[in-house]
Amino acid sequence: MGLPNASGDLSSEMEVDAFRRLFPLRFHERHLVESIRPDARPVGRARETTLALGAVASADGSALAKIGSTTMLAAIKMEVMTPSMESPDEGCIAIEFHMPPICSPIVRPGRPAEAAPVVSKQLSDTILSSGMINLKELSLVSGKVAWMAYLDIYCLDADGALFDAALLSAVAAFSHLKIPVVSLNDDGRVVVVSEEQEGGKLENEPVNKEKRKLTLSSIPFSLTCILHKNYILADPTAEEESIMETLVTVVLDSSGQLVSLYKPGGPVLAYSSAVQDCVALTRHRVKELQKILNEAMSDMEVD
Amino acid sequence: MAGKAGTAPTTYSPSPTQKTKTPIFKGEDLDWVRPDGRGFPECRPAFLRTGAVNAASGSAYVEIGNTKVIVSVFGPRESKKAMMYSDIGRLNCNVTYTTFATPVRGQGSDHKEFSSMLHKALEGAIILETFPKTTVDVFALVLESGGSDLPVVISCASLALADAGIMMYDLVASVSVSALGLNLVIDPILEEESYQDGSLMIACMPSRNEVTQLSVTGDWSTPKIHEAMQLCLDACSKLGEIMRSCLKNAASDSQD
Repeated sequence: MGLPNASGDLSSEMEVDAFRRLFPLRFHERHLVESIRPDARPVGRARETTLALGAVASADGSALAKIGSTTMLAAIKMEVMTPSMESPDEGCIAIEFHMPPICSPIVRPGRPAEAAPVVSKQLSDTILSSGMINLKELSLVSGKVAWMAYLDIYCLDADGALFDAALLSAVAAFSHLKIPVVSLNDDGRVVVVSEEQEGGKLENEPVNKEKRKLTLSSIPFSLTCILHKNYILADPTAEEESIMETLVTVVLDSSGQLVSLYKPGGPVLAYSSAVQDCVALTRHRVKELQKILNEAMSDMEVD
Repeated sequence: MAGKAGTAPTTYSPSPTQKTKTPIFKGEDLDWVRPDGRGFPECRPAFLRTGAVNAASGSAYVEIGNTKVIVSVFGPRESKKAMMYSDIGRLNCNVTYTTFATPVRGQGSDHKEFSSMLHKALEGAIILETFPKTTVDVFALVLESGGSDLPVVISCASLALADAGIMMYDLVASVSVSALGLNLVIDPILEEESYQDGSLMIACMPSRNEVTQLSVTGDWSTPKIHEAMQLCLDACSKLGEIMRSCLKNAASDSQD
């Protein structure tokens, strides 16, 4: 290979780790030429993904998603609110993404990570616009009381593709969500009906005995790719993201419809063919993720 | 961030029905059982694992009953620019709760009191002379609060420090005891802590038999304190053994 840079000549003499640190871009490009990545993945393959539902007992719905080392913990807590005048028969979802200092050496206490509000907004936009959740299902008594679902996602370990892992944990938390049975007391406040009381006679009838689970239509799944020269690298690690900066995130729903496409700048310009390739990779990934989610859900039912 | 435009509406948690639950502790007599069916001097089952966070120099996950904690250790790394020159290393601790850790949704903010308690509990165990001019950061996140949070955070943090290869005189194990009337219950859960008359927490280095932190709050008599301290120290030495075997397992796994 004709390498114009001096580092090419050094590469044969240097130890691999030193070369990786001193010439990270060249290190990665040398791998890409062989159509392989430093962690032995083919260019278009995502890392191993696992999903566990019900990780937090104090929440109404929760899930732990792991893509490679990237770990996300999502949990939903249901609270009660008065619906707004404009939409009296709709509930609300508040989504927040947190990057606590434990997740990465870059984040320090008191100085929140720059990425956190960006991912937070992206998640919020994606989940609300995908139409996965019908907000009308969160209504309890039209015009009077409705659910506010607080979805908080914590990044426990940041190793690239944060949005993909966060979205996966978020949809999994929604599919695990079990809405508590509540009734209205005489003051008009909503109170939880405990399980012992459920069987016996009640002073006030529960208002939502039927609606314990949300119907999730068209679940969104995503894949982040790096564009670098002519290569498309699926599901990048933090190291790859820091070296090759052009990212494209494609979100498709379970029926293959495009929900959102996000390319936050970067030095590489995306041609339509590259975008199409990203979409094709995502389409494949959606099938994988759907299968992982279904398996996690059927595991829950057995227990 | 509200899911819809406009100001976020005020919300409240639908608390369980007004009828207050019967208190778990029934008077002075001995005729009551703990909510989770444990004996008074019995700890909850513990699960410990090191290397939970790859991005950190060292980390540990500890689950004791429903209390779940992750601690990451970063460094030794450069101290903040504004810091004065120091011959010995610095220790920086931070404890945060997730918004869903507590039964009622919280703000997920820093827990200043626990941060400084954690710092004081670890300070004496770490050989700070081994990393002059630099700082070791110990960050804890409480994923779920199930009672005895601080002792779990302290034990987990010392495990994470060991995983990061920070030099210590010994591991720090920590256990607390609650006084409920005439009884002493070890490793209390959230419900028991809310009824307690007093609490005593010890953080100690089991193999050196040295205490790094002792905190006593509430109503205690001297003989009770002696009894509680002995109970804690015994539990700490047992927890210390479990922590040691967790580290040994991790080390032998990485050799294979």
